[in-house]
Amino acid sequence: MPVTASAGSPYEGYIYNNLEDDVHSINGYLYLDSWDGFGTEAGPLNAPDDIYIDAHDQLYVADSGNNRILMLDDEFELIRTYGDAEGPGKLNTPKGVYVTDDGTVYVADTNNKRIAVFNADGSFAREIAEPKSILLGDSFVYSPSKLIVDKRGYLFVVSNGTTNGLLQISQNGEFESFFGGNRVRFNWTRLLLRWFASEEQRAQIVAERPLEISNLYQDTEGFIYTTTLGGEFNQVKRLSPVGVDTLNQGNVSYGDYFSSGPFSLPAFVDVTVDRNGLITIIDQNTNKAFQYNKLGYLLFIFGGTGEQNGLMKTVSAIDQTSDGTMYIVDSSRNRIDRFRTTPFGELVHRASALYVEGRYEEAEALWREVLRYNSNYDMAYHAIGKAMYKAERYEEAMEYFKLARSRPDYSQAFKEYRKEWMREHFEWILAGVVVLFILIRYMLPRFVRKLRAWIGASGRSSKLHDATQAIVKEGEAG
Amino acid sequence: MNTMRMMGKVLRHPNEFYYDLQAPGAAKWSHAILLIVLAFIARMVSILVTGYAYETREPYEISFLFEFVWLVVPWISWSVSNWAVSTILDGEGKFKEIVVGSAYALVPYILFVVPVTLLTNVLSLDEASTYGLFMNFIQFWVILLFLIKVRVLHDFEIGKVVWITILTLIGMFIMWFVCFILYGLIDEFVNFIINLFKEINFRT
Repeated sequence: MPVTASAGSPYEGYIYNNLEDDVHSINGYLYLDSWDGFGTEAGPLNAPDDIYIDAHDQLYVADSGNNRILMLDDEFELIRTYGDAEGPGKLNTPKGVYVTDDGTVYVADTNNKRIAVFNADGSFAREIAEPKSILLGDSFVYSPSKLIVDKRGYLFVVSNGTTNGLLQISQNGEFESFFGGNRVRFNWTRLLLRWFASEEQRAQIVAERPLEISNLYQDTEGFIYTTTLGGEFNQVKRLSPVGVDTLNQGNVSYGDYFSSGPFSLPAFVDVTVDRNGLITIIDQNTNKAFQYNKLGYLLFIFGGTGEQNGLMKTVSAIDQTSDGTMYIVDSSRNRIDRFRTTPFGELVHRASALYVEGRYEEAEALWREVLRYNSNYDMAYHAIGKAMYKAERYEEAMEYFKLARSRPDYSQAFKEYRKEWMREHFEWILAGVVVLFILIRYMLPRFVRKLRAWIGASGRSSKLHDATQAIVKEGEAG
Repeated sequence: MNTMRMMGKVLRHPNEFYYDLQAPGAAKWSHAILLIVLAFIARMVSILVTGYAYETREPYEISFLFEFVWLVVPWISWSVSNWAVSTILDGEGKFKEIVVGSAYALVPYILFVVPVTLLTNVLSLDEASTYGLFMNFIQFWVILLFLIKVRVLHDFEIGKVVWITILTLIGMFIMWFVCFILYGLIDEFVNFIINLFKEINFRT
């Protein structure tokens, strides 16, 4: 039996609770191993910038510095390389790769300013040249870095430095439209400046541009996920086919709250989504990966900056195989790090998948187990609360929603509980109302009269309040 | 018992109440202190009995001292500012009457805030408007009493009451601003002295 050596993880598991405090949690992902290509048939990597994993768990790595695309199996055995030594198939710093179901490889051939297309057997097929359109504007510089191809065959391309969004390009290389661009946020300072600045001053103010999209991912349902470089809110988006963000309601902040903040914003550079809708994003500032479920609940944080195995120097791309193993490309250390899910991670994933589908009652037992391992996991309280609510055990639901600090849900459960309580105690409530009516109608006037007499008597007997006597008497008279 | 009687009167006949308050010896410091303490207790109890769905702060975020400061500082600064402004502009009110009168204006809050807050234990968030209505009613009543107080104690007509109230509020903010600056300067000064001593100690 092979012995696995293990050491403590160089990063500590944590999660944000409902008060946005960072609290201890159990790691959902741990470092497995790395691959840098040394001593293999593929040779060492040089500044790898992208990774794509297809449905058969085959890896396509954009080895930018070596001007080639590597095709590997999930144990890093070389299958094929794309990119010719000479001729039209020669790549120049390819920064992105996408593979369609039939094995056609689309390469964002960044410095050649084109998309190169290769057949599944590795031969160069054709190129999709720079799109021309008046819509792109005069100052447009084409620098394709990441891309996907949707089911209709349209290419969605991230062009570095373009703030209008993704470029939607047809197979013939015609520019269709911009897609899913970020908007400039409303800003009081800007408004005031525009009001008070003179014509010349206004010309000097640098125009505020929307934030640049850094990367994109297409899930199995055809939704396009984008990451935004910088920005405080909604740095990750799930775009519907018409370009509407379906992930965020209002302002949602992704990444670390404290290492980011207004002074150093996270720089998300890649996103991957599994078939259950688990979204994993990587931040180049902290070199951490953040995993969210389909509804946007934070599940796990792993990685970090450093030299140890499990930490990274410059994360540039992430993707996962069908078993959930994460492949993170480190472009400074020229290697690919693998992270495996822990048993706790798997438990949370299973529970979360059921929760997302609304099968709260089935998920309840799993969430209770999650809490047994980790009572800091606030999402579990919320999930159990929902299960209780669905099972019409409102009092328990209230208790769990309280633990989850979810006031709207608590209030909802309370409303149902109140209804139930009123139904059960109807006779008593009725009797109470009758008694109260009698008390108010007949007893209260007598009581008030007695009280008045008593106050009057004590007021008169008190020598301390002599000075105010006049007022009291006046009050009685009036 | 006298205080209770006067509390009842300020609710039922506020005009008469403030007329009577001007009688010699009617306004008492002890009443003002008692009422402020009662208002503080009412505030703390209302925080305590708020239903979970209506809580806006975590328990550890609530401080006795801060709640007290937030009650006493506006009360005192209002009184001082109102007295100063109205004295300049021919008001008749004496400082003591204004302080005691302001304290009595809090009576609706003292009496009704706890019962209204108890409602949050039987209301869900959907019915928040009912609770809001009652709370607004209490606030409106307190503000009204403040205005009646200004009118009666200083013997002003309505237009002047509004004018004086606005000036009083401005005066309050100026006072806070000056206090804030003074605090900063004194703090710097004290720090400077302390550092000076440390430095001398260190060198000798």
